[in-house]
Amino acid sequence: MTAALVVDGLRVRYGAVDAVRGLSLEVGRGEIVGLIGPNGAGKSSTLHAIMGAAPVVGGDVRLDGVSLLGRRSEDVARRGVALVPEGRRIFGELSVEENLRLGLAARRSRRNGNGLERAYALFPVLREYRSRQAAALSGGQQQQLAIGRALVAQPEVLLLDEPSLGLAPKMVDLVFETLVRIRAEGLAVLLVEQRAQRTVALADRSYVLANGELRLVLGPQDADDTERLVAAYLA
Amino acid sequence: MTVVGFLNLTWPTFANGLALGGVYALMAVGIGLVFGVLRLVNFAYGQLIMAGGFALAYGAQWGLPNWVSILFCFGVVLALSALLDQLVFRPLRTHSPAVMLVATFAVAFLLQNVALLAFGPLGKSAGSLALLNQPWDIGGVFVKKIAVISVATAAGCLALLQLLLTRTPVGLHMRAAAMDFQTARLLGMRANRVIGGAVLVSGVFAAVAAVMLSVQEITVTWTFGLQDTIYVLAGVVLGGLNRPVPATLGGFAIGFASGILGGALPSSQSQYLPSFLFAAVIVVLLVRPNGLFTRGGGAVERV
Amino acid sequence: MSALRRLPELVGPAALVVACALLGSGVSGSLQPYFLDTLVKVSIVVALYVFIGNSGVLSFGHISFVALGAWTAGVLTMERSAKPAIMPGLAHFLLVTNVGNVPSLALAAGVGAVAALVVGLPLMRLSGLAAGIATFGVLEIVNNVLTYDQSIGPGENAFSSVPQTTGIWQAAVGALICVAVAFVYQRSRFGRMLRATREDPAAAAAAGISIYRQRLLAFTVSGGLAGFAGGLYIHLLSLQAGSLYLDLTFITLAMLVVGGSASLLGAVVGALAVSGLDSFFSAATNGVDLLGWHLTVPVGTAEIVVGTLMALVLVLRPSGLTGGRELSLPRRRRRAGAPSAPEPAA
Repeated sequence: MTAALVVDGLRVRYGAVDAVRGLSLEVGRGEIVGLIGPNGAGKSSTLHAIMGAAPVVGGDVRLDGVSLLGRRSEDVARRGVALVPEGRRIFGELSVEENLRLGLAARRSRRNGNGLERAYALFPVLREYRSRQAAALSGGQQQQLAIGRALVAQPEVLLLDEPSLGLAPKMVDLVFETLVRIRAEGLAVLLVEQRAQRTVALADRSYVLANGELRLVLGPQDADDTERLVAAYLA
Repeated sequence: MTVVGFLNLTWPTFANGLALGGVYALMAVGIGLVFGVLRLVNFAYGQLIMAGGFALAYGAQWGLPNWVSILFCFGVVLALSALLDQLVFRPLRTHSPAVMLVATFAVAFLLQNVALLAFGPLGKSAGSLALLNQPWDIGGVFVKKIAVISVATAAGCLALLQLLLTRTPVGLHMRAAAMDFQTARLLGMRANRVIGGAVLVSGVFAAVAAVMLSVQEITVTWTFGLQDTIYVLAGVVLGGLNRPVPATLGGFAIGFASGILGGALPSSQSQYLPSFLFAAVIVVLLVRPNGLFTRGGGAVERV
Repeated sequence: MSALRRLPELVGPAALVVACALLGSGVSGSLQPYFLDTLVKVSIVVALYVFIGNSGVLSFGHISFVALGAWTAGVLTMERSAKPAIMPGLAHFLLVTNVGNVPSLALAAGVGAVAALVVGLPLMRLSGLAAGIATFGVLEIVNNVLTYDQSIGPGENAFSSVPQTTGIWQAAVGALICVAVAFVYQRSRFGRMLRATREDPAAAAAAGISIYRQRLLAFTVSGGLAGFAGGLYIHLLSLQAGSLYLDLTFITLAMLVVGGSASLLGAVVGALAVSGLDSFFSAATNGVDLLGWHLTVPVGTAEIVVGTLMALVLVLRPSGLTGGRELSLPRRRRRAGAPSAPEPAA
């Protein structure tokens, strides 16, 4: 399995604070990789660093062997890395369809006709509400919109920053099921989550981050081993 | 023939109000677009218009046909606009909006004095288009041609802008950038292109405003455009700096009011208009200071 | 001993002022006006600095306090016989009241301070661009009122027949007073609290500092100094409403930015340097002899030079010539790298 995304000894520093200290991980095509850990562990910083939106002071980030460092965010997006940001960051005043169209900016080819179809196929509710203002959607629907928006660009790598935050259980199920479908289509998925247990159960492997450092790598078989999880968080 | 008795409002005055309102609406768009994507209040916007005015004056002096003069005007304004973007806006993008305001303030004074130096205190006449200042006889009422043309042009430009913003990808990105610049970039929006586009449209509107204003003012001087910019800025703040439609309406309202009151009220009563205007601006800023500027975070994201 | 340590912070700027005054007292009569103008500009820029430098909030409106101070001092010291001619609509009380030179300056300061307090009460909640635009609105309003209200001043006419009491020593002493007040303020706990809000608003608020109150205090003090400077100014030149408006706002802001808005030294250095340039090029419009060459420049050159300089400084070195640093004793290790040009504090 070729690793699509490689993070190699990444160091991120905000002013005097080291947010990420030498993190290394890999995400292959057709894999879901989890990145879990307590608040402030550096998970979001890692995603932002990959997208070129955080101050990287060391290490490397590579997509199919090519370094992403030093590139502007829009260039990283155009190379095939899509981010579903924390808090969704949808454009409330624009319509659902316009939000999706924004995602098309990162599209690398126009081969597959109407890119929005992919989002509508995955999330039928978006088709139904396509002309509505995005702010009128519920939290769960907005999350679907955020993911759909990331997918219309047909990325190779999908980064998600706490997609289950603030969602009702049914919605969380939907999101996780969608990730399984996306994985089946061959994308490399890096999932940052607070819900450790579900993530560990779902992902092919999960990296536990605490205080900017990698503590542990867990597999799905460890999902029920709460002691191990807690120990990893508190170490 | 009065429209509204107590204001001594006649049709020509009403038309003038509409005309000035139209020009101010265009200027409001120019200022508002750039603010939306760059969080930069371009105090030097009036100087772009001034440059356009001087271009027209030179065109007249060289005996160029009107349409060539107008093209020349557009060329000069767009070139100056691009130059400002490269030399001033881009290097300053990481700074706070307040610093950017001070910088454009400095540029405004710089350009004004360059014009003073180059063209002298008396300015130049943009004469040949003054034909448009002649009145049309519409059903017995004399309305200046330029008033009608102003309104029509402004309406046309705004309609085109609306099409640009709602039907094209770059327009969509401009709207998105004004709401949340960082996220738009993360989705692949080419920041420089969108900013360049906003600067371009802003420049085009400045050129149009230059043409319309120079017809009414006849003489283009080194102070051309400064007071207008100040009033339009007030109107835009009143309307809502980061929201395109209300900002345009704000600009229009100020222009309309100025145009009408200039003609309708005796000067002793309209003298203190600027005070009321800016008092209203201050009240708006106090009541909803955040409504103006919080969309999408601070200045650093634009790097 | 920490008070002594800080003394260079006061002595540096003060020495520069005194040097300027000494130089000005020794030159020929045709050059002296430039020095006088420079010294009054120092007062204005220091007034600006007290607020902008310590709070990090931009104010476009301080010249309105200068104008109010100028109006106060001018109306109250103009030769009584000249008043009806120059100020036909003047209120009766003002028509009959006259005060001496120093009281007029004190009153000018008082009016400036009160005006700043009134303006500041609502406006000090604002930061950043909103503050810039709101204070600009104040400038517009005051200019509008002063231009057209004949009951409080000459309206559109120029002030004349005001005793020209601002000679080289009054200007110098005035500037020194402003420098001293600025120094005392910034070393006081109020000044230090305000600077803390500039450096780190969240930490300052957490420490219980009221950003609003400290800003209001600084604004009022700086308004008083600005009014005082206005009083000095009207005793120097026959001013009009239009000369206390955008041009003066621009040039004093330029002086502060170029010198370095975060330090008192910066304010003084900026005022002296930019004023020197401005004076030189203004004089050159009539021709000057420099090192054997005769130089004549067109009108407007001075403003172009200053404007370009200001733009360059903002783009290339926003912290100004002094980098926002004060003068300090060499032995002391001070933390280098002060904040740059005004930024929104909260």
